Amino acid sequence: MLFGDGKVWEWIALIIVIAVLAFIAIFFSYYNRIIRLSNRIDNAWSQIDVQLKKRADLVPNLMETVKGYMKHEQKAIDMVTKARKEMLGASAPAEKMKAGNVLASALKSIFAIAENYPNLKASENFKLLQEQLDGIESKIAYSRQFYNDSVLSYNNAVTTFPGRWMAVRMGRTKEKPYIEIPDAERKVPKVSF
Amino acid sequence: MAKVSFYDQISKNKRNSFFLIIFIFGLVAGLLYVIGYLLFPEAAIFFLVFAVVWVSAQAFVSYRFGDQVVLKATKAEPADPTEHAYLINTVEGLSIAAGIPPPKVYVVDDPEINAFACGRGPNNASIAVTTGALENLNRSELEGVVGHEMSHIKNYDVRFMTLVAVFVGLIAILSYILLRSYLSSRGDNRSKAGLLIVVGFIFAILAPVVSRLVQAIISRRREYLADASSAELTRYPEGLASALEKIKNKNKGNMDVSEAISHLFISDPKISTLDSIFATHPPLEKRIEVLREM
Repeated sequence: MLFGDGKVWEWIALIIVIAVLAFIAIFFSYYNRIIRLSNRIDNAWSQIDVQLKKRADLVPNLMETVKGYMKHEQKAIDMVTKARKEMLGASAPAEKMKAGNVLASALKSIFAIAENYPNLKASENFKLLQEQLDGIESKIAYSRQFYNDSVLSYNNAVTTFPGRWMAVRMGRTKEKPYIEIPDAERKVPKVSF
Repeated sequence: MAKVSFYDQISKNKRNSFFLIIFIFGLVAGLLYVIGYLLFPEAAIFFLVFAVVWVSAQAFVSYRFGDQVVLKATKAEPADPTEHAYLINTVEGLSIAAGIPPPKVYVVDDPEINAFACGRGPNNASIAVTTGALENLNRSELEGVVGHEMSHIKNYDVRFMTLVAVFVGLIAILSYILLRSYLSSRGDNRSKAGLLIVVGFIFAILAPVVSRLVQAIISRRREYLADASSAELTRYPEGLASALEKIKNKNKGNMDVSEAISHLFISDPKISTLDSIFATHPPLEKRIEVLREM
């Protein structure tokens, strides 16, 4: 029956149809996967951006609180104000990240100096601000981790087969860059009094 | 790779949750029918209709408000943005690391070190931490614990486990009712129902035990996975390992919570004598060992 008159051609046609359908399904799934992973990177960046913005918003409050106590630390205070301004002016992600790191280390020196002002350290407002800024610091670290994880998934998808083949057709062969962890974060900040 | 297992686990949990709802539905409707048959054999069919309606409502409520039920049962209070800023920041940080929206944060006033998560999935979830955990754990330990709960949320363990909690509770109540109605039913009703009654009677005795066993088995496997995922989120397995060590040394295992929800916690809130079979968690020593080998 199977190989009887003309039947065999029906089977071959069926197999071809299934193969084509399978091919289309794979095509769409890889297309969607690459787009999804790329969107995830954008989303990961916006997470970092939100935290950088939040930190910049908290800085004026902190400076207001600190000013009354740290009269002789104008240099450190100016450093923070300047770093904040630069960060708000930056637009490209890499630039923003870099300015953010400068602000982070400037804030670290403020907190290090605060160790010498027991009254300031005891102030409720200061404690809350310090906790918020610490929290933001670790959120930035986590969002950077999520960003880099997303970049890894994306880069794997566009460089390995069959994603690679798809990526070429989509013009998305370029790997996305990782965010480097700044050296400053690995070292303890140096503070001069 | 860990990422793949995350996605496998998600689809598995969604599927299991669906089947569990269907299973509860059938089971509870059947149980109620038997109860009805025992008490009012003439009106058994009305009982069946009532059972189906009641169970549908129950399933809907437990799917929709299961987290609220659990939070209420543990007397969890919403975390205060000022007083618990530290905890809220930790939870938000880890939700960013996991790539899910931040869950609601609750605090349970209890000296034991413990925590749990509940909800329907990443878009509707809560994490509760005891005051004992806030007082005894340092930042990296707390991050490890919150990371564990965060992965329960991310891979939809919470949906399945909240349903299991409701399921275990429901079975316990129904078998109790079934046994009572058996004792108070008239003898002639009993003989008419025949085999059905025998099956129902055996069921009423076995169901609570079996459901507890299932709960324990389901939960134990998940704990290792959540521990591993926590280490993946925090990139620091030692944080959770040392938190578990503190739990081992300091906890007395006497938290005032129902056994139906004990599998939701990071470590058994109650330590029973039948520990090894009914334990919802693998031994702490073993979990610590696995984490330290990562």
